[in-house]
Amino acid sequence: MDPILKVEDLAISFGNNNVLKNVNFELYDNEILGIIGPNGAGKTVLLNILTGTLKPTSGRVTFMGKDILGVRIDERARLGFGRTFQVPRSFENMTAYENVMASAICGGQTTQREAAKRAEEILEFIGLEDKALVLAGSLKLLDKKRLEIGIALAPHPKVLMFDEVAGGLTESEISNILDIVKSLKIHGYSIIWIEHVIQTMLNGTDRVLLLADGYDIICDLPQIVLDSNEVEKVYLGVRKK
Amino acid sequence: MSIIEAKLNGIASQTGKVKIIVAAIILIIMGTLPFWGSGYMTNVFLLIFLYMSIGMMWNLLSGYAGLTSLGQQAFIGIGGYSVAVLTQVYGLSLIWGFAVGSVVGVVFALVISMPIFKMNGAYFTIGTWIIAEALYIFFVKWEFVNYGIGYPITAAYGIPMWGLYLASFIVGIGSIVIVTLLLKSRLGLTLMAMRDDSGAAEVRGVKLYRTKLICYLIAAFWVTITGCLLFLNQAYIVPSSAFTIDWTIACVFIVIIGGIGTIEGPIVGAVIYVFLRQILYGFPGISNIILGIIAIIIIIVAPKGIMGYLNNKFNLDIFSIRRRIKR
Repeated sequence: MDPILKVEDLAISFGNNNVLKNVNFELYDNEILGIIGPNGAGKTVLLNILTGTLKPTSGRVTFMGKDILGVRIDERARLGFGRTFQVPRSFENMTAYENVMASAICGGQTTQREAAKRAEEILEFIGLEDKALVLAGSLKLLDKKRLEIGIALAPHPKVLMFDEVAGGLTESEISNILDIVKSLKIHGYSIIWIEHVIQTMLNGTDRVLLLADGYDIICDLPQIVLDSNEVEKVYLGVRKK
Repeated sequence: MSIIEAKLNGIASQTGKVKIIVAAIILIIMGTLPFWGSGYMTNVFLLIFLYMSIGMMWNLLSGYAGLTSLGQQAFIGIGGYSVAVLTQVYGLSLIWGFAVGSVVGVVFALVISMPIFKMNGAYFTIGTWIIAEALYIFFVKWEFVNYGIGYPITAAYGIPMWGLYLASFIVGIGSIVIVTLLLKSRLGLTLMAMRDDSGAAEVRGVKLYRTKLICYLIAAFWVTITGCLLFLNQAYIVPSSAFTIDWTIACVFIVIIGGIGTIEGPIVGAVIYVFLRQILYGFPGISNIILGIIAIIIIIVAPKGIMGYLNNKFNLDIFSIRRRIKR
């Protein structure tokens, strides 16, 4: 089976700082790929390259058989890339409902009527229907994170990218997010999920990629990666005897 | 539907009716002002509507599209000169001045958009200013527009006061209608998203360039029309009054104190600005300093402007821009 997204020899540097040196991975249809790595490993940079806000120094990104590195940011959204931001970037002076509508209209090219219908479905799915008419800027963190997912989902994307959607949440809130992600898989989405919370990676992903020192160190089933020597070395700086 | 929801919907439709009645009363009072008010009041409100129009358009650009221009005077000057040249030099009727002016304004906007849309933030702001200044220098040296001497606009003498007032009233209210309809349309959600976070909006699929250009052209068109009326009211045009940055400074003051990124802001701002200017005629030389101090105080007390503050505090939605869930 052809991967839906393929990243080859990806590298990016800022001045002398080579953040990504050579990163390769594939995302298959209806797969949840977790990405872990220490702070500064370049996980968010990777997402920014995929969505187009950063241009890589070299490498290739193929999405459904098409090279997309020359494609504009907004066009990528319309092609089927949906993402969340680590620090939520919902539109703060708009209501939750309008946030989702705006995303459906811009990324999904829908009419206002279709967008309104989609927004109602999504707010119910992410459990924000009772806060639909609250300004996004006055939502609590968990609700903001949920809304981020809702905004990303609105235009029916093919690939969802989550940048630490569980970061900063309590344990029960994390399981709440985990439920949402699991049902997204049932709905057929393919997901790239960056996270520090190991529990979510173990329970919520199909494969996990370890990103460190600018390379894709290991990519395998979650349990295998988390038990590996490489993870221990990267996170603790020691090697198992 | 629960009883509470039914009641809430009832209240919503009632406030809708109240709004329509209040708006109708205000429009009738304002629209008939020249027939019952004093000449002085008519002139003051004429200016309020014209300043409201240019403030509204500046707010569309800076408050929503992220295009902070200091060059809106270019379009006001183009409007004024179109009326002056076509009526004085060619002896055509006023309607030609408006028609040709608006076409020239939009074409000029389209041409300069190519270089200046490549600039971002402060560079865009400086770019628009430089173009307007260049236009001023060009007009001073251009024989076709009678150099720096300018023209009297004698066609203005043939218009009754109420005629000029009604035209200004239509342009002022028209600017509110244009921006309200724009924000209620599909593009409106895009504009509000850009206002709140243009970077995130682009990641969500907003075509930034296209959306900005649409706003820029709409503003160019309406500001040029307003410029025609501003100079018909003055009945004389010279490059230094046509292309002065004072026009845009007025826009900035109106929008900042009224509330940037709100529809109500420029309306309130224009009323305050024009009345303040009337009072400040008694303090020549220091009137700009006083305006500046007032602006600074308002920015410190209410950073989002008067209407931004009131909207937040009382959760107002006077122009019903908010999308409501229909059941």
